[in-house]
Amino acid sequence: MLDSALSGLPSGGAYALVGVAVVLLYRLAGVMSIAVSVFGAFGAFVMVASFDRGLSLGLAVPLGIVAGAVLSAAMGLVMAWLFPDSDAITRSVVTIGMAITLLAVSSRLFGDTPRSFPPLFPGSSFTVSGVVVTATNVLAVVLAIVLAGALWLLLHSTRIGVRMMAMSSRPVSAELLGVPLGLYTVAVWATGGAVATIAPILAAPTRQADFTSLSLLVVPGLAAALLGAFRSFTLTVLAGLGIGVLEALAVRWEAISTYRNALPFLVILVVLMWAQRAEVWDDAR
Amino acid sequence: MLVELIDLTKRRSPFLLLAAGAVLFVLWLPEFWTFVFIGGLATAMVALSVGVVYGRTGMVSLCQFSFAAVGVWVMAWLNVNTGLPFVVMLVLGGFAAVPFGLVIGLLSLRLRGVNLAVATLGFAAASLVVLRRNPFPGSFSNQAIKRPTGFVTENGYFLFSCIVLATVVAALAMISRTRAGQGWLAVRQSERATASLGLSVARVKLTAFSVGAFIAGIGGGLLGGQNGVVSQRSFEPFDSLLIFAVSVLVGARFVDGALGAGLLGAVLPELFRKWGIPLDVAPMLFGIGVISVLSKGADGAHGHMRHAWSEWRAARQGGPQGSTPSEDLEDPAAATPDVANPEALILTPSGPRGSLELEGLSVSYGAVVALDQVSLDVRRGEVHGLIGPNGAGKSTLIDAVAGFVSPNSGVVRLAGVDLAPYSVHRRARMGVRRTFQQGRAIEEMTVGDYVQFAAGRALDTGTLARILRFFDCPEARKRISSIDVATRRLVEVAGCVAAGASIVMLDEPGAGLAETESAALAARISEVPDRFGCGVLLVEHDMEIVRTACDRLTVLDFGSVVASGTPESVLSDQVVIAAYLGKPTVEAGGVTTSGAGAKR
Repeated sequence: MLDSALSGLPSGGAYALVGVAVVLLYRLAGVMSIAVSVFGAFGAFVMVASFDRGLSLGLAVPLGIVAGAVLSAAMGLVMAWLFPDSDAITRSVVTIGMAITLLAVSSRLFGDTPRSFPPLFPGSSFTVSGVVVTATNVLAVVLAIVLAGALWLLLHSTRIGVRMMAMSSRPVSAELLGVPLGLYTVAVWATGGAVATIAPILAAPTRQADFTSLSLLVVPGLAAALLGAFRSFTLTVLAGLGIGVLEALAVRWEAISTYRNALPFLVILVVLMWAQRAEVWDDAR
Repeated sequence: MLVELIDLTKRRSPFLLLAAGAVLFVLWLPEFWTFVFIGGLATAMVALSVGVVYGRTGMVSLCQFSFAAVGVWVMAWLNVNTGLPFVVMLVLGGFAAVPFGLVIGLLSLRLRGVNLAVATLGFAAASLVVLRRNPFPGSFSNQAIKRPTGFVTENGYFLFSCIVLATVVAALAMISRTRAGQGWLAVRQSERATASLGLSVARVKLTAFSVGAFIAGIGGGLLGGQNGVVSQRSFEPFDSLLIFAVSVLVGARFVDGALGAGLLGAVLPELFRKWGIPLDVAPMLFGIGVISVLSKGADGAHGHMRHAWSEWRAARQGGPQGSTPSEDLEDPAAATPDVANPEALILTPSGPRGSLELEGLSVSYGAVVALDQVSLDVRRGEVHGLIGPNGAGKSTLIDAVAGFVSPNSGVVRLAGVDLAPYSVHRRARMGVRRTFQQGRAIEEMTVGDYVQFAAGRALDTGTLARILRFFDCPEARKRISSIDVATRRLVEVAGCVAAGASIVMLDEPGAGLAETESAALAARISEVPDRFGCGVLLVEHDMEIVRTACDRLTVLDFGSVVASGTPESVLSDQVVIAAYLGKPTVEAGGVTTSGAGAKR
């Protein structure tokens, strides 16, 4: 029981990371980005492509992360340039457009066949009371928690964080107060892209790793973010890890094991309908 | 119905000719291209379903291809296991998608905007998992879905697809004219306003999702007949994203837009293949296209074209047509009955006529007490004014009577009937109507259509014109999007009385009006009870309107009634002056209204 729960942690960590990227972009850039995992998959494929060409893993991973960050930042600039005052829905639909375009471009660049991703720490594992724990398991969880914690600290106890929150809620006032919008937009989107790239790099070795499948990591990631109400990093990380563990546990239960990847959707449904039970009316008055 | 159809045919004759020409052109094309265009028609159906759910009702649904997949799956199953005719299988496939649409529709009752987008994307991903486990029946045994007898060739099946599309479009046009169908546009704008017109928001949303799912299911079925054996690869989440993007890009709310979206989605890639352009350039273009269209406003390319077209037509026909109705207005014969017989406009009431009574009504939001033991009554035949500074609880009171907030204690009665068990739309149907400060008349409708819609019944043109004239509304064929917010509120008032309301609650109808206009409005409001046989609860900051229009006045402050009575007695009450009108500044002849209340 415990070992299968633990086996869900790398996936869960990846979902949590995507979720953290989603929450970050939503809180600081006002965008619910469906494209966030496309940025991530792009970075991950840059990593695997350069690894296949002989670059060492220690260089390929940072290169991939930078690639994801740069792509994401570029899209952030497009968003800031063309849709400075649009509502959340319009901006989300824009990210759909971005996802479609980037997906087509990337499948041109990398092909649409599954690639084998190198495990980050081959063979390193240890046993805790009879359960095998791999280094990737640990890293996935630790990274998700550490990154979420770091972002939380950045937002709530640094000057930059406060300025960033000011920027997302009142861009014009913030700019008048001397907040450099362009710089912050790039920073926020680049961070989101980098976090979203780490997710598929962690998860790819243990799942089908074609570009489209990795881009679909956005679904459990969005589910996690949604459970965190697009606000709380803590809840998002817990939700992401929870979804991963849930999927892994479902493997043991034969009747549903083949449908385990549909579980995030059910989780969204149940939790959201409960959380939103009082939202009888829309905001328009 | 036949007459309507003929009428429609006449109005649309240039489009129909164009469509017939296009059909002939496709029939003339080589078989391969006819085959491609069949795919275009099927995709157009899915785009149309996006048009219903998102374009008209404003709900982001990223799983329309999953509904299509349900349609094909059921069709393929029927094809393997039964000998039913194609048309029956097609329709059953469409109906099989409806329960799934209803489930998503149920979600949409609580989830909106980006939340709904995420949930529907989740549904698309989940349906992919299920589909991978349960491939389309017959796809391994190669039991192809047989095309309908007589329509087996490419040309034949293309014609069949055209007939299916035309039938669906005609049915959709009929549904759009029902109340639920018109409600789609209303919900897109504001759910509260929709419910205030007596429509159940839940029912409107569920209808939109069911109709959308059905259309998508039929579209999927057409794809099944086109290909015989279908691959699940055509029904993945990104296909749903793609068709959503293309539908937004083209603007699939209307049939021509949906057709454009379908052809763009299915035919363009094949053209690229023919021209030696890589296929994946098409989605790249769609993605970039949707971004650039959105950056120019959210209407879609087709919306922009339609707008330009209607402006061009208006410019061409503006002169003579514009003056005809106004001549009619000045016709003395038409105007006389109003003056001679004020009762002439009293419409059949939609519910019990009688007074509205509030007894000990208390509402609190957490620790904040918005209304504290408020009692008042609005009698039939009077205008009852409700004034008070901002935050005094006036809007909360209207919300509580309309049913948007449930009181912590106290009773609201209409003609002696306790309203507590009734939901917002039921109260509206019983005759408790309200208007909104922001002007919630539906932008896409004409003034006449809106008032008809608000009335919830067919009004003859004479009655409609008289109601509009009474409130100084723009002429019936004017689009609401083209009039200012202050006038939109008047149109809303017209809608309330046209519905035969017993109690009309007006939330600051005078805000934003010029002084002369507000004087005219005040005179009108004071006549409303006698003319339309109802009671009026008027929330207003403009003291001139209050003085002119109201028979009685109640003053709220911090959620409690501080005074009530005739306007003269209340407005000279020292407590009221202190609480509401600000410091008394005695200038030549009265009290100036420079207090906290002037929300202009």
